[in-house]
Amino acid sequence: MKNQKLNRTPIIVENNGTVHSSGDLKKKYFRRILISGAASIILVLIIVFSLPRTILSVSSLVEYATIVALVIFLFVLLLRYFGILSFAYLYLNEYTFKSSKNYFPFVSIIVPVYNESKVIRASVESLLKLDYSNYEIIIVNDGSTDDTKEVAETLVGYNKGLLTDIKISLINQPNGGKSRALNSGIKHSQADIILCMDGDSQLSPESVKLAVRHFENPKIGAVAGNVKVLNRKKFLTDLQALEYIEGLNMARSAQSYIRLVNIIPGPIGLFRKKAIADAGYYSNDTFAEDADLTLKILANGWKIYYEPASVSYTEAPAKLQQLLKQRYRWTRGIIQSISKHKRLMINPAINFGDTFILWTMFYEALIWPAMNIAANLFFIIAAIAFGFSYLIFFWWAGLALLDLITALYCIAVEKEEFRLILYAIIYRMFFILVIDICKVMSTIEEFLGIKMTWGKLERVGTIKA
Amino acid sequence: MELIPILSTIILVATICTFLLAIGAYILYKIRERKGEPVPYPKPSSVRAELVTPDEREYEPEQYLRPEKMHAPFEPHYVRTSTGAGIYARGQEYQRPQQKYYPVEEQEISSTGRVRTKKKFLKYTTEGYIPTEEDKNTGVLKWR
Repeated sequence: MKNQKLNRTPIIVENNGTVHSSGDLKKKYFRRILISGAASIILVLIIVFSLPRTILSVSSLVEYATIVALVIFLFVLLLRYFGILSFAYLYLNEYTFKSSKNYFPFVSIIVPVYNESKVIRASVESLLKLDYSNYEIIIVNDGSTDDTKEVAETLVGYNKGLLTDIKISLINQPNGGKSRALNSGIKHSQADIILCMDGDSQLSPESVKLAVRHFENPKIGAVAGNVKVLNRKKFLTDLQALEYIEGLNMARSAQSYIRLVNIIPGPIGLFRKKAIADAGYYSNDTFAEDADLTLKILANGWKIYYEPASVSYTEAPAKLQQLLKQRYRWTRGIIQSISKHKRLMINPAINFGDTFILWTMFYEALIWPAMNIAANLFFIIAAIAFGFSYLIFFWWAGLALLDLITALYCIAVEKEEFRLILYAIIYRMFFILVIDICKVMSTIEEFLGIKMTWGKLERVGTIKA
Repeated sequence: MELIPILSTIILVATICTFLLAIGAYILYKIRERKGEPVPYPKPSSVRAELVTPDEREYEPEQYLRPEKMHAPFEPHYVRTSTGAGIYARGQEYQRPQQKYYPVEEQEISSTGRVRTKKKFLKYTTEGYIPTEEDKNTGVLKWR
């Protein structure tokens, strides 16, 4: 990258956002606790008064309820697995690699950065290797406290790309969060197609070319990319790599068959600028701004597609504390987004697709983790208190077999590393259990309105160009 | 000793440990988070920012552009085997219309304000259009 003369222009960026006064929030949460407490008391009273009129005793009611819950859990588990696999299979059958020969719209790649000095250069260098000629890069430095600004300024200019020279601009603004940084970049951009990514991610060379072709269809408002874990060969990151392949990407493929992808991932998402403007840009009133924007785009009637060949490599948390921090934010952010769009959830007449997607998210974020924990607790109690220890083995064996088959299919489809299949044996009993406990805790905290912060993940700089 | 009881015990212990680990790690995370909680401060509706762009005047695109590689075809080249209509269609694609120049006629404004062209009537000959006066002066025998 050669030194070029730079123009520095002072600009004003919007800093608006929904800020609730603490008084309003206290009232809201107090009302919420009061209503749920009253509902619980009513439920207990119904059980106490109705139980003597049935053939059940208290202990048999607990056993009966647990067995029914387990049967429902297993039924839902199998339905979920085979439902996702079937839709994903249908999606892959219709998926094509055909590319447009005449459609090469101008794309602005927005790279929001906050204290990413270790990885920003590698990220931008990966962008210069894209197999696409009509694009620019806009780095938005969101008030970094390290030397990110200095590193980013060395990247500004016309730099040699794979096919042509690529213009790199930089916006330096005070810290306001990722959503504000992305909004600044989007508003500054002149392109019709916007690619939003994370400052610590790297894109594969074909990612833009293969994703952009879907915008030829005027109904497509956004295209979600495929996120893969880059820093592997560690126990926790390997498990996350499997989770991204088996849990997230396969679900996204299934959703893409009905053009209703519910979350466009932060590391790679392409948007029609009109769709973002219609949705009112990124909001900063939730901690999952990508989920919120996706729901708003869907609510406006746009379709969202998933492009598995548009790959973004990202650095996954390598420590348990960092992982919990990330999942805590994701869960609370998703619950906030669902809560924000509850009107669509309750009324399917407004947008049936949105209602369906919101209920799916609600189930995945709240009901499923609680059911998984309850099932595990049941087997622990059955083994310790009643001596049925073999039950937990069969439970684990059944789930492990199911996960092994799914992992095998997903890894084969994505042409991923086969060694990851072995992690499927401990995937559900260890990894998913830890994540689900974190999800339930986060849900309780969100319900009680406990304050939270964004929680920046520390980058170790494993990403290399 | 049978295998299933041993495996069951291992899985049971592992599950209990996972529960304890998850809850312990979560509590630890919350304690650490609470220590570094920032103090909320009022935010203005707009903030000053700086846009850093490259100087367009210094940029020399000829030096870098490689147009032969731009829009590299994604699919393999398709070679048309049939001749005739295809070639004809391709030939038409590259035909460029010739630019035509029309002479501007000299004009004069009469006393009444009407615009009149000096060379109103032209005669077509093998040498092109010539004024009728010129044709009369040639003295060439005309057949009627």
